[in-house]
Amino acid sequence: MKRYIVKRLLYAFLILFLVSILIFIIARLLPGDPIQAAAMMNMDLANEDIMNDLRAQYGLDQPAHLQYAYWVKNFFTGKWGVSFGSGEPVFYMFLRRLPVTLELFAGYVFWSFLIGFPLGVISAFKRNTFLDASITSVAITGISVPVIWEAIVLIYLFSVYFQIFPPSGYVPFSENPVENLLCMAMPTFVLGTHTAGMYMRYVRSSLLEVMGQDYIRTARAKGLGEMAVIMRHAAKPAMIPVVTVIGIDFAYVISGTFLVEYMFALPGFGRMGIDAIAARDYPVIQATLLVVALFILMVNLAVDLLYGYLDPRVRLK
Amino acid sequence: MKPIFKRFELTVLFLMLPLLFVSPVFADSAEEYDPDGWRVWGEDYWPTEPVRGGIARAASPIYIGLMNPNHFPVLDWFSISHMYEKLINSDARQRPTIPWLATSWEYLDDVTVRMKLREGVRFHDGTKFNAESLKYQMDWVMDDKNHAWTRIWLEPLESVEIVDEYTVKWHFKRPWGAFLGTMASVPGFMISKQALMADSAINELKMLKRLIVTAERKVEEARDAAESAGDKGPSFSEGAREKVKKAETYLKDLEARKKEAQKLAKGARSLDSYPVGTGPFTLEEASYGNYIKLKRNPDWWFGKSIGRPEMPYFDGIKVTVIPDPSVRMANLKAGKIDFTILTPRQYRMVKNDSNIDVNVYPFDMLFYLVLNHARGPCKDIRVRKAISHAIDRKALVVGTQFGQARVATCLYPGEHWAHNPNLDPVTYDPELSKKLLAQAGYPNGLTLTGFSLNIPETQTFSKAVMGMLADVGIDWKPAFLGVTGMAEPFKRLDFDIIGAIYPLVQEPDHIASFIYKPDSFFNKGRSHNEEAIELIKAGRKTVDFQKRKQIYHELEKVLYENYEDVWLFYPNAILATNKNFEGFNNELFKKYGEGYYFSHPMWFKDGHP
Repeated sequence: MKRYIVKRLLYAFLILFLVSILIFIIARLLPGDPIQAAAMMNMDLANEDIMNDLRAQYGLDQPAHLQYAYWVKNFFTGKWGVSFGSGEPVFYMFLRRLPVTLELFAGYVFWSFLIGFPLGVISAFKRNTFLDASITSVAITGISVPVIWEAIVLIYLFSVYFQIFPPSGYVPFSENPVENLLCMAMPTFVLGTHTAGMYMRYVRSSLLEVMGQDYIRTARAKGLGEMAVIMRHAAKPAMIPVVTVIGIDFAYVISGTFLVEYMFALPGFGRMGIDAIAARDYPVIQATLLVVALFILMVNLAVDLLYGYLDPRVRLK
Repeated sequence: MKPIFKRFELTVLFLMLPLLFVSPVFADSAEEYDPDGWRVWGEDYWPTEPVRGGIARAASPIYIGLMNPNHFPVLDWFSISHMYEKLINSDARQRPTIPWLATSWEYLDDVTVRMKLREGVRFHDGTKFNAESLKYQMDWVMDDKNHAWTRIWLEPLESVEIVDEYTVKWHFKRPWGAFLGTMASVPGFMISKQALMADSAINELKMLKRLIVTAERKVEEARDAAESAGDKGPSFSEGAREKVKKAETYLKDLEARKKEAQKLAKGARSLDSYPVGTGPFTLEEASYGNYIKLKRNPDWWFGKSIGRPEMPYFDGIKVTVIPDPSVRMANLKAGKIDFTILTPRQYRMVKNDSNIDVNVYPFDMLFYLVLNHARGPCKDIRVRKAISHAIDRKALVVGTQFGQARVATCLYPGEHWAHNPNLDPVTYDPELSKKLLAQAGYPNGLTLTGFSLNIPETQTFSKAVMGMLADVGIDWKPAFLGVTGMAEPFKRLDFDIIGAIYPLVQEPDHIASFIYKPDSFFNKGRSHNEEAIELIKAGRKTVDFQKRKQIYHELEKVLYENYEDVWLFYPNAILATNKNFEGFNNELFKKYGEGYYFSHPMWFKDGHP
């Protein structure tokens, strides 16, 4: 298992290296000089000496490979730079906005896993019944509906018509837990429904496939009830393809977070990234992209490790 | 340094959109206009008595940015104009006629204006607004080191002389006809002297800290060089030591200046985050990127001066950032905000809503196409003419603005005092366009390059224009770029057509100089119309109002006849408020502009939402 973990970690670093190169290139492909853009936003930078010095600090006067080295070094030593827009250290901007985005993720996990998984199991258990068809229809609707459209419809339905939830905005949990839950209900639901539908479908088809295996027939022959067969013998192997999808799908969840934060005016780091792109806030853009890449890699690493747990053959290979 | 600031002039102007609230245009003829007509309160203005209390909740698509109007970027002029006030307000025809913090003014000669200031006005920090504070502010703006983008507008100003505590004399380098219009614009927002001094100290300290880092590096480099020079002989060594000494002296000087600045900056707060004006509201709280809360200024001078000390009526205003227009409207419908500006598309969705009041008023923002006369096909007037006649302006208004806009004739909107009433909008005539293109040597059409700003407003009309041009055989596919991205190709004049916006047409000299003077940022030599340039110069230095008016009429005629650019339309602003919101008299607003708006604060019917 140790060897497996080390191997996965090495892969993760390799991917992070490639992604960081890509981010570095993308940031430099944006038109215009970032330091001049910064000087437009910060009066104290608008001095030729200071601008040259900043170019030196960010290594922008160096060859591209050295620029890349400076950037990576600064990122991993916590020197994420200062936002051109707010003048705040980017690292602290992230820390301040992290709870909002993490809460959004928590909501996504709640809707996707706690609804998608049980519904998938029920659907498999009651296959080819009206209940199965109904759940499948709901799941396909959830997968097909675009986030922006779903957000608008829910806002008009539950905020304007029924007036249950606030249409947008954020109240910290520490300030008012009830208000916090009310204002996060719709954003998390929107983020979770797409993936819940998808996970439901994967759990269903994967379970049905496993249920046709010989060892399941043996379990049934031993006299086990259907639910016991599913939970004890079928669930674990059926999770392998589902876990794969979770890893792949996490990139979608991140982009969904950006959209959801924008639509519901939530002050998370997704919206911070969108604002930074609009304002050409170079340090924030780079940091956002790299943090997102790190998040995706971490989740995929967790998925890889989970394979090892779910399927011992993976560990032995 | 100049190129940097000239570059961001464009950005500033593009981002002044939120001035929507303070720039209606006058709908009546000049003859019907009563300059004191805005001075009505009581039943003549609103049938019910105002009620004090409540926090007004508004939504803005973007965060306010910096809060010193002279610094870049200020992105929410609605909030700014509730915290700061100007010397003069404009009427609805954009004439700087309404005394505000200045009570009267008089041209003593073409280069001197005597101005009386209002007595008894205090800034939010308790300091007095007087001649001294005004002079300090103007000197502050004109001082390069404070990086005020507004200083380009004060270029003709020589000095401000204090006559007595509430009287100043303005001295100009040359006759300055645009002076009053400029004081009714951003440079006219009055700021506390104490706050400006603190702000300068903070900025000086920040700059010195950065310069010291650079200087320390240079000292290190000089020392290293001196060490290696020791091997090369005494003359090298002497020179290197001299360099070290010079770098060390410079560093010491900076450190001494830093100590001084530290004393001044101790306990001070930056104006960019803590605004100090004289307006009806003060800043209570700002959450970067999310919202700002304004608090009622109980000492506001205006309410007291007219015997209505309960003004302003709201306890405060909260402006929340909600980027998406549909979500802003949902917040209004759900009663979570009290007012917002709607997009033209949304107007039809709420105009019959019994819970919402909608007020539409003209807004002086110009949408237009910038043509490059310096190189390429647009050098030829036939091509420019073909482009202009290929555009169906009425269709643009209907199709992109849902009818909520006015077709443009030239630079100035129909109701603006500088507009030439004898000109009609260029007609839509695609057949003529095709003929003109054939005459110009393009019988099979041509391809033109260019770009547009990447905001929804410009993208929409640029795409519609693209289709209209394609109908006559002109292939124009603009790249949608950010401001920084546009700056470089513009500087190189690497374009044929740009889809552009001029956010607020107020003082006629500002827009004319900005767009048509070859040395200005938004020209860079792309248009060089000698006759127009002479008229711009004449307009700037002519003090007599009627003569200026004639000059701008002539300027419009010259630009129009030369097909200098393609002026498209001016949009309307659509203000939606909930029914509990009282006191917005749209007719008076359309007639008396900001003179009405700033003197007639709104209130909640029941005192709170």
